[in-house]
Amino acid sequence: MKKILVFLTLVLSQLQAWAEARFPKPDFTSGYQYPDIQHPVPYEQFWNGLDVVLLVAMMSVVAWATHKKQSRKAIFGVSVFSVLYFGFYRNGCVCSLGSVQNVVLALTDHTYHLPLYVLLIFLLPVIFTFLFGRVFCAGVCPLGALQELVNVKNFRINKAVTSALSIIPWIYLAFAMLYAATRSQFIICRLDPFIGIFRLGGDIGLITFGVILLLISVFVGRPFCQFLCPYGALLSVFGSVSVKKMEVTHKGCIDCKLCHHCCPVDALRPPYANQVKEDRLKGVKRLLMYFIMLPLLTLAGALFVGSNSQALSRAHKDVHLYDLIQLQEANPDMDPILEVTAFNEMGRTMEELEAQVQEVQQKFRIYGYLAGALIGFVLGFKLIRLSVKRTRKTYEIDHAACVACGKCFDYCPQNLKKNQ
Amino acid sequence: MNKNIFRNVALVTAVFMLALSTMLVVNYFQVRKATPLKTEVMETLKQLNESNGDNEALQAQIRQLDLLSRKAYFTQESHLKTGVYILCGMAAVLVLCLRYYFKESKKLPSKELDAIDEWMNKSKSRTYMTWGSVAAVAAALLFAFLSSPALRDTIEKAVEEGEELIAENSDATSGGDAVVAADSTEVAAADTTAVSGEDDGLPIPKVTSNAFRGNNASAVSGASGIPTSWDLGSGKNILWKNPIPKHGYNSPVINGRNVFITGADNAARELYCYDVYTGELKWTVKADNIPGSPSTMPKVNADTGLAGSTVATNGKQVCAIFATGDVIGVDMEGNRLWGKNIGLPDNHYGYASSLLMFGNELIIQYLNNSKSQILALNAANGNQLWSKTTKDKIAWSSPIIATLGGKSALVITSNPAVTAYNPSNGAELWRVDCLSGEVGASPTANNGVVYAASEYSKCIAIDGTTGEVKWEVSDYLPECASPAATKNLLFVATSYGMFCAYNTEDGSLVKEHDLSDAFYSSPVIVEGKVYLFSNSGKAYIFSASDCSLITSFNTGEKTFATPAFTDGMMVVRTDNSIYCVKKS
Amino acid sequence: MAEDKNIKKSPMSRREFLRKCGSALAGGSILATGGVLATKAKGSSSDLFWQIDPTMCTQCGRCETECVLPVSAVKCFHANKVCGYCDLCGGYYRPSVKDLNTAAENLMCPTGAITRKFVEEPYFEYTIDENLCNGCGKCVKGCTSFGNGSLFLQIQQDLCLNCNECKISRVCVSGAIQRVPYEAAYKLKDHA
Repeated sequence: MKKILVFLTLVLSQLQAWAEARFPKPDFTSGYQYPDIQHPVPYEQFWNGLDVVLLVAMMSVVAWATHKKQSRKAIFGVSVFSVLYFGFYRNGCVCSLGSVQNVVLALTDHTYHLPLYVLLIFLLPVIFTFLFGRVFCAGVCPLGALQELVNVKNFRINKAVTSALSIIPWIYLAFAMLYAATRSQFIICRLDPFIGIFRLGGDIGLITFGVILLLISVFVGRPFCQFLCPYGALLSVFGSVSVKKMEVTHKGCIDCKLCHHCCPVDALRPPYANQVKEDRLKGVKRLLMYFIMLPLLTLAGALFVGSNSQALSRAHKDVHLYDLIQLQEANPDMDPILEVTAFNEMGRTMEELEAQVQEVQQKFRIYGYLAGALIGFVLGFKLIRLSVKRTRKTYEIDHAACVACGKCFDYCPQNLKKNQ
Repeated sequence: MNKNIFRNVALVTAVFMLALSTMLVVNYFQVRKATPLKTEVMETLKQLNESNGDNEALQAQIRQLDLLSRKAYFTQESHLKTGVYILCGMAAVLVLCLRYYFKESKKLPSKELDAIDEWMNKSKSRTYMTWGSVAAVAAALLFAFLSSPALRDTIEKAVEEGEELIAENSDATSGGDAVVAADSTEVAAADTTAVSGEDDGLPIPKVTSNAFRGNNASAVSGASGIPTSWDLGSGKNILWKNPIPKHGYNSPVINGRNVFITGADNAARELYCYDVYTGELKWTVKADNIPGSPSTMPKVNADTGLAGSTVATNGKQVCAIFATGDVIGVDMEGNRLWGKNIGLPDNHYGYASSLLMFGNELIIQYLNNSKSQILALNAANGNQLWSKTTKDKIAWSSPIIATLGGKSALVITSNPAVTAYNPSNGAELWRVDCLSGEVGASPTANNGVVYAASEYSKCIAIDGTTGEVKWEVSDYLPECASPAATKNLLFVATSYGMFCAYNTEDGSLVKEHDLSDAFYSSPVIVEGKVYLFSNSGKAYIFSASDCSLITSFNTGEKTFATPAFTDGMMVVRTDNSIYCVKKS
Repeated sequence: MAEDKNIKKSPMSRREFLRKCGSALAGGSILATGGVLATKAKGSSSDLFWQIDPTMCTQCGRCETECVLPVSAVKCFHANKVCGYCDLCGGYYRPSVKDLNTAAENLMCPTGAITRKFVEEPYFEYTIDENLCNGCGKCVKGCTSFGNGSLFLQIQQDLCLNCNECKISRVCVSGAIQRVPYEAAYKLKDHA
C-alpha cells in the first residue's frame, strides 16, 4: 500500500460501558476470546516531512537550472518527477494552492489548527519566488508540470485578451480567501480540475473540465496557470519583485525573437521604442485619472461584494441548514430533508442556530468587504500598469508572468553557443 | 521518415483513446443510473417476500437478482479501474508521439511575427478589462436577482397566501357550527378515500374516526344520526356484537368500513380489523418477529394491560403499538408493511399513550421513566422522520393535533408541562410548566385554546398561539378520562363520578353532576350531544350546549374504552367484546 | 517639467527605486506572515485526520456516495466488546426477517460484507469484510436502532486520502466528520 501502516492492537482490558446497550454482554462458556481486530493507523508524518524536503530540493534544482545552468533538461526532469510523485503518487493533497486557504483560515480564526508542514508548503514557494522568481511554477507544482508535459505547440492568444483574463485568478483568490476565512468551504480544493486525473477517479464534471484544460494546453501554454490559478496570482506579485532575476541568456541578446516565439505564457516583452502617438499631457491625465480611480474602484469593489455577502453566505453549512429548515417549515408536505431531521434529532435549538447564522453573516460582511476591496484594488492597479509607457532595447522577461519553464534557454542561440 | 511513424502512432492512439474514453463514460453513466445495489425492483421484491409468507419462487428470484447485482457492482468497479489505467498509458504514448512529431527546428518560422504595437495592445487591454469588469458585475447582479432571495420570497408569499386561504376556510366552517371543530370536519372530508373491497351495495361511511377520540384526537366527531338509546340485552338498535380474541383497553378506530382495535396477552400481540356493517373479523395481524422485541413481557398493571394504546390510521396505513415497544404498520388489506421495536418502555404501569397520524407521519408519545422522546415515523415504512428528546417525565396521556393560529400543532400533556410542537419537524412552539403527578388525561383544544387537566394538579386553559395561560381552576379534575371542549364549554369526567362543565371564557363552573360512578372512558361530542360511558357500563348523554343530562341508561357491559363514531353508527368496546349501535 | 527631465536624466532610476520598494514590501510581508503563522502553527506531532464521531452519525448514507474515492474510504467497523452476539442481529438481518438463515432475501448488507460464525448457544460472532464494504451504513442503522450499536461507520485511514477538505464532511448532515488528532479520536467504540 502507499502508506506505511502501523497496526494498533486494541487493548483488551479497557472496555467502555456503552450507554445504549440493549443486550447484556454475553457470558461465554466455551472459552471464546474476543477477536484481536486491528485497524491501520495513519503514518503521515514521514510523508509530510518528505514532501517538504522534496519541495525544497526540487525548487533548488529549478533555481540552479534557471539561474546558473540555463538549461531546460533539469526542469523537465523535475516536472516529470513532480507529476509522478506529487501528482499520481501523493494524490496532490495538501498542495500549495490549497494551503492558501488553510493559512487564511489560521490568520482569521484562532481556533483553527494549522499544521507546521502546511505552513511550510505555503511559505516555501513564496520565499523561493521572492528569491529566484516563480521556480515553484516551473515544474515543482504538479498542476503546472502536467500542463507543461502535454504542451506540444504554442499558438499565441491576443495579448489584450490575455491581460484582461489575468484578472480572473485574483477574483478566484479573493473568493477563496473569503470562503476560507468564514469557514464555509475550500473552493480551490473543491474545484481543482486536475485532482481527479491524478486520483484516476472522482467527480465526472471536474475530470471533464481537467481534460478540456489539458486538451487546450496541448496548443496553448498552461491555461490553468495563466487564467485560473489563484496561487499563481499571488506568486506573480513576488516574482515581479524577486531579488535575483532570471535572464534568457547571460551573453547578451541578439534580438533573434526565438525566445519570444517559444514562450508558452507569452512572458517575453519584445523591444519597443516608446513612440508616443498621443499627446503627452493626455497620457499623464489618463494616468492621474487611474490613480484617482484606484481608491474609488477599491471602495466600489468592497461595497459590491460586501452588500452581496448575505447571498454569498449561503455557501456556509449553518446558513444552508437554516434555509433548509425554513424551506421544510414552509412546505410540511415535502419529503423530510435529511439535514433537518438530523438537526432535530441532535436536539439543537433554533435560537442557537440563528445565533450561529448571524455570526457567520457578520463574518461574511466583514470579509466580503475585504475581498471586494482586493478585487477592486487589483483591477485599478492593473489599469495603472497598462497606462504606463516603457522603452525596451532588447527582449526582456516579464517576471510576473514568467513561470521559469526554461523553454527559452533551449531556443536561445547565445545559450547554445555557451553550452557547446 | 521517422516523423511519419510518430504521426501515425499518435493518430492510432488518439482514435483508440477516443473510443475507450467514450466507452468508459457511457459505462459510467449506465452504471450510475442503474446503481446495481440500490435497485427498486430488489427492494420491492424483498418487501413482497416479507409480507407474503413462504413463496419459494420469489425467494429464488431474489437470490438470483442479488447475485447478479453484486456481480455487476464489483465487476464494473474493476473494469473502470483497468480502463482508466489503459487510458492513462495511451495518453502518455500520445503525448510522447506528439512531442516528437512537433519537435521543431529551433529556427524562426519563415513568416515574420507581426510587428507588435505595444501601446495599442495596452489601450485595447484597458478597454477589455473595463468592459469585462462591467460585464462581470452585471452578470453577478443578474445572478443575484435570479437566485434564491427573490424567488424564495415569491414562493413564501404563495405559501402564506395558501395558508391564509386554508385558515379562512376553516374559520368559515367553524363559524357555521360551533360544536363541530373545524379541523375535524376538514380531515373527515379529506379522509374519505378509504376504499373497502366489499361490493354489497352498502355505502362506505364518509365520517372517519382515525385515532383515539376521533380524528386528530379532537374528541369531536362530525357523525350524525347516532341513536340516543340502545340495549344489549334486547338487541335494540344494536347492529352487531362480537367477542374480541385478546384483551385490551384501547379504543376502536374507524376508517371507511374498517374498525381497528388491538388486543394482547403474554403469548401474542394482535391488530384486528372488523367490518363496520357486519362485525365480521376481516383480518388479524400479529406483531411478531420484530428485531429487538423483548422475549418476556414487561410487568404491567392489570388496569393498563399490554394493549393500552389505541391504533391510528390515515386511510392508507394503520399502525399499532404495544406495551413491549413493538410498533407495526399494516395496510388496509391486512398486509404487514413493517414492524420495529422502539425500545422496551420503562413504565411501572405499562405503556398506554395512543398513536396519532399526521399525514404520513406516525407520532409516538414515548414518555417513560428512563427515556422521554417524541418520535415521528414514516407510516409507510417505519423509517424515523424525526425525534425529539424532552425533559418531560413519564405520562400516560395521548397526543392531539390542534389547529392553533391557523397552523397544525402537536400538543402533549405530561409532568410537568403542556407543550406544543410543530408536527412536521418536532420543533417546540411553546411550553407551559403547570401539571404535576401522574398525568393520564390528554389535552383537548377548540377555537385556538388548549385545555389540559390532571388529577391532584389543575385544569388549565392556554392560548394556543402565544402559550399564555388564560385561566386555571381545580374544582373537579380527571384521572383517566380526557376532557372535551366546544367553543363555550369544557367537559370533564372524573374517576370519582363527577361530570362537570367549565366556561371556556373564565373557567367558572357552569354545571356539575354527581353521578356516583367512575369514568375511565372519555367524553366525545357528537351532534351537539356529549356521549359518555361509565366503568360500570352506564351510558350518559348530555346536551353540549348547556350540559344538561338528556338521558342515561345501563348498557349491561363494563366499558373502559372511548367509543368511535361514523355515519349513523357508534362502535363501543366493552371489557371483552365490541358492538355497533345503529338505528334499526 | 520636472517629471519629464527626470525620465530623460535617468530613465531607470525611478523604476529601480519602485522595484526596491516592492522587494522590501514583499520581503517584509513574507517575514510578517511567516512570523505570525509560525507562532500559530503546530508541529507535525499533532497532525489531524478526518474521523467520524459515531455518537453523532445518523447513517444518512452519504458516506457511501460522497467520498472522492470510487469506493468510499468509510467502512463499517465492529466493536466486538459492545456487541451482544445476538442471533437475531438488527445489522445482519432485514427488519422483518422470517428465517434466520443466510438467504439473500433475509440479509441487510447489499454487498454481503458481513459474515457470522456460530460461537456457542445462543451467540454468533459477526465479522466485516472491509474489502467488500461500501460504507452504506445500512447495517449500522439496524444495529443502532435494534441492538447495542456495536457496528459503526469510521474512516479507514489506509484508504483515506486525507483531503484538505473532506468531501463527505461538507455534506454530512450532522457534522459528525471532523479533523481530529488520531490519538485523541473518538473513533473506536470499544476502547476508551
